[in-house]
Amino acid sequence: MASEKADLLQGTLDLLVLKALAGGPLHGLGVSRRIGLITRGAFDVKPGSLFPALNRLEENGWVAASWGRSENNRRARFYTLTKAGQRQLAAEAREWGRVAAAIGLALEST
Amino acid sequence: MLLAARVRSLARNLFRRRRVERDLTDEVASAVEMLVDENVAAGMSPEEARRQARIDLGGVTQVQEAVRESRAGAGLETFWQDFRYALRMLGRSPGFSVVAVATLALGIGANTAIFTVLDATLIAPLPYADPSRLVMLWTGYREARQPRVPASGHEVLEIRRRSRELAEVAGIWVGAGSLTGEGEPERVRLGLTTANFLPIFGVPPALGRTLLASDEGSAGDRSVVLSDRFWRRRFGGDPAAVGKAVRIDGGLATIVGVMPAGFDVLFAGDSSVPPGIEIFTTFGQDLSAMPRDMGWIRMVARLAPGATAASAQAEVSAIADRLRAEFAEYATPGLELQVVPLHADAVRDVRPALLALFAGVGLVVLIACANVANLLLARATRREKEIGLRAALGASRGRIARQLLTESLVLSGLGALLGLIVGRVGLSALLALRPASLSRLAPTGLSGTVLAFTLLLAGATGLICGIAPAVAASRRDLSRALQEGGRGASVGGRTRPQRVLVFAEVALGFLLLVGAGLLVRTFVALSGADPGFRPEGTLTFQVSAQGGRYPDDASRRRLAKTLSEKLAALPGVAAVGAVSHLPFDDYPNWYEYYWREGAPESEKNSAMADHRAVLPGFFESLGADVTHGRSFTDGDDAGHPNVIVVDETLAKRTWPGEDPIGKRLHVSFIHEGSFDSTLAEVVGVVRHVRYRDLGADGRGQVYVPYLQSVRPELAFTLRAARGADARTFATSARGVVARLDPDLAVSKVRLLEDYVRQASTAARFTTVIAAALAILALLLAGIGIYGILAYTVAQRSGEIGVRVALGGRPRDIVWLVLRQTVGLVGAGLAAGLVGALLMTRLLQKLLYGVGPRDFGTLAAAAAVLAAVGLAAALVPARRAVRVDPITALRGD
Repeated sequence: MASEKADLLQGTLDLLVLKALAGGPLHGLGVSRRIGLITRGAFDVKPGSLFPALNRLEENGWVAASWGRSENNRRARFYTLTKAGQRQLAAEAREWGRVAAAIGLALEST
Repeated sequence: MLLAARVRSLARNLFRRRRVERDLTDEVASAVEMLVDENVAAGMSPEEARRQARIDLGGVTQVQEAVRESRAGAGLETFWQDFRYALRMLGRSPGFSVVAVATLALGIGANTAIFTVLDATLIAPLPYADPSRLVMLWTGYREARQPRVPASGHEVLEIRRRSRELAEVAGIWVGAGSLTGEGEPERVRLGLTTANFLPIFGVPPALGRTLLASDEGSAGDRSVVLSDRFWRRRFGGDPAAVGKAVRIDGGLATIVGVMPAGFDVLFAGDSSVPPGIEIFTTFGQDLSAMPRDMGWIRMVARLAPGATAASAQAEVSAIADRLRAEFAEYATPGLELQVVPLHADAVRDVRPALLALFAGVGLVVLIACANVANLLLARATRREKEIGLRAALGASRGRIARQLLTESLVLSGLGALLGLIVGRVGLSALLALRPASLSRLAPTGLSGTVLAFTLLLAGATGLICGIAPAVAASRRDLSRALQEGGRGASVGGRTRPQRVLVFAEVALGFLLLVGAGLLVRTFVALSGADPGFRPEGTLTFQVSAQGGRYPDDASRRRLAKTLSEKLAALPGVAAVGAVSHLPFDDYPNWYEYYWREGAPESEKNSAMADHRAVLPGFFESLGADVTHGRSFTDGDDAGHPNVIVVDETLAKRTWPGEDPIGKRLHVSFIHEGSFDSTLAEVVGVVRHVRYRDLGADGRGQVYVPYLQSVRPELAFTLRAARGADARTFATSARGVVARLDPDLAVSKVRLLEDYVRQASTAARFTTVIAAALAILALLLAGIGIYGILAYTVAQRSGEIGVRVALGGRPRDIVWLVLRQTVGLVGAGLAAGLVGALLMTRLLQKLLYGVGPRDFGTLAAAAAVLAAVGLAAALVPARRAVRVDPITALRGD
């Protein structure tokens, strides 16, 4: 039961991170803030789960990381969506739409 | 694409670790700094801002650890870490490690040894080409309820001619022959075969050729093929031996080939085809010309391409139907044919014992696992602080469980390494004890199968030992663990897994003990079994008088009479006799139908008896009592009426409640090599002699006078007079033979007792191993019980101290400890008893003289286990009594 829930969250988290990075390169905290912003605060991603997710996406080749400077001039690691990442985002978004539509249908039926 | 990226990441994680780690540290640190910046900007004090940043982040090390666990190859990485950590931890408590590794090594080693035997015997294919296509073809006589009897030559030829499912059908009969010419005469184990017998195994000769169809059917100039061992012994391994002429039973024989080393004919024990055939040659007679009802040949066949054992069975059953329809000789006994895969047939005698031993050794390793699991549990409690600390430092529960499992896997891995050595030693012991039925087991090195088995076993034991401690550790509440300082106050619930393990040990140990007890009783019963004669003090040796100087019955009779007179004259000899078939020898048996004079047709194929031709004095020299009538005399010869002596079994079966003396039976007498049905009068009754199975009576027995029914093979029996040693006859008897005929080979000069002892080697083998396993199990169970009691006493020393301080009497304290033993052992015994009642049935086939639910054995096993349990409790109990209240209370 618990693991099913975690899987769902993990999948959702990956999608959200990719979506956040679609708007341009961000550092870790930036990703977290951006997700909060685009979901209007519905998701508050803790760094404890965000960093592993970023690492996973990076290892899959969907995002690339490089060191840069933050807005208040701190050294930070910035993540950029790669070509493969864009394709992955599109694929996952499609899949999400399909699942959401299906669940919506299921809930409407009596 | 994705895979390529993952592989790149894995390589980076493995080979550029420092860089990856630095990135991680810097990244998390930078995140903290940014959070601090934000917090300060929001108006917090710098200290407060930093604290809040850490809380928001969820702990710097925790985040780092979470990222590490998400990395490609994290499993590998952690395993390596855990592995090194495990080695360090084991090195830190050498006492524990040595006991645990030694326990596992014993358990795994015992398994490796037994499995090696099992593998070589039951699993490894027979050393022939395409051995799974070889089948034994057994003749059966339905009317006489004899499912595995030899076939007649005619049968072999008919089956060969009619079968399509069998590509080849070959036959063999093993007897003895005298080899003369070039050196000492020698009696050799001779395999008479069809020409296609050796080729059917698909093992080409090392030298020369095997036999050809053109060699068949001539008793004169024969072609012979030697076994490698015989060739080396007799001809010094000289390749020029091929082409040489020797004499076998007086006839000329040319050596045409030598089989390769390691080739042997491996048939079932009851096939009368023993291993170690020295010379192969073709049947001297034309098989088609021999009586259709004279069965003496064992058949082996190779399945045709596309055929299966089942399809072959269907076909030979149909062939048997037709043979019955066509020939009266097959119709009357109710001929049946049976196809059995050669391997299964060859191991049918040893299979039950090996499987039982394998099950037993499996129990031993389970007990060993339980012990090690117990040690690990006790140790985990002592390590609570360390484990709590690791949890506090960010190790997840899964991670801790994995770490503990790695430790137990390292233990079992070390145990397996050591176990291979233990197994090697155990195997040499097994080889020294093995009965003839396991002779094909060559002391080979480690086979791949055995190694794989050991590896698998190591993995399994590691998991079994580790699972309980790992689960227990990951469940533990870490804050409490730290507070308690690793001492553990709540004793009751804490030892539950340990108690379950000890309970299991007692139950398994009981099972083993009962099994071993039953086998020991079987062995004792077998050793004390009455074979129907008194083997002590009798020397035997064998000769075969065939060909050369012994062309006919008259010459053989003369030899037998002269030899027995001269042997009787030797000092110290009390009685001399001779027999065609010695008890427990591997010479092919001779058994036939018999029926009463004037019996109805229906009786003629209903009963079979073992036949033996004997010289006067045989019963006396064997120590078999004539209970009724008389024994044979020198007067029972060719010039006098045909007479027989029968055993009590046959007498009772044939003439229940009547006096058999003077009654007449139809039996075969042999004249010049041909079996003639003869009406003979019973002159005496002798006790039933066990010839082949020490544990059970065989068929009824008919003894015919050698002087009236002559055979070429004779085993002389020399009984020593009181005070004389039968062993000393060996030299003098050889001298007597050599003076009479220097070309007559003497073989198997052996005490009769040795034959009888040999008959119980198989039982001794299983018994000794089972007993060793049971002792091992007892030892381990004892250690297990001791371990948990010692542990509880140490844990409860505070409580005991209080009791002593409050005036608890030593008796009460001892009872406190013993109560636990009684409970554990009692429950274990109860469960073991249920198991034993269910499982010992499987031992049935191995038992003799004792039932599988023998009360005495069950009671004795329970008593022994209870005693071991109490003995194991003694030391902890004494320690409890000596607990000094002051030290104990201060200890907390």
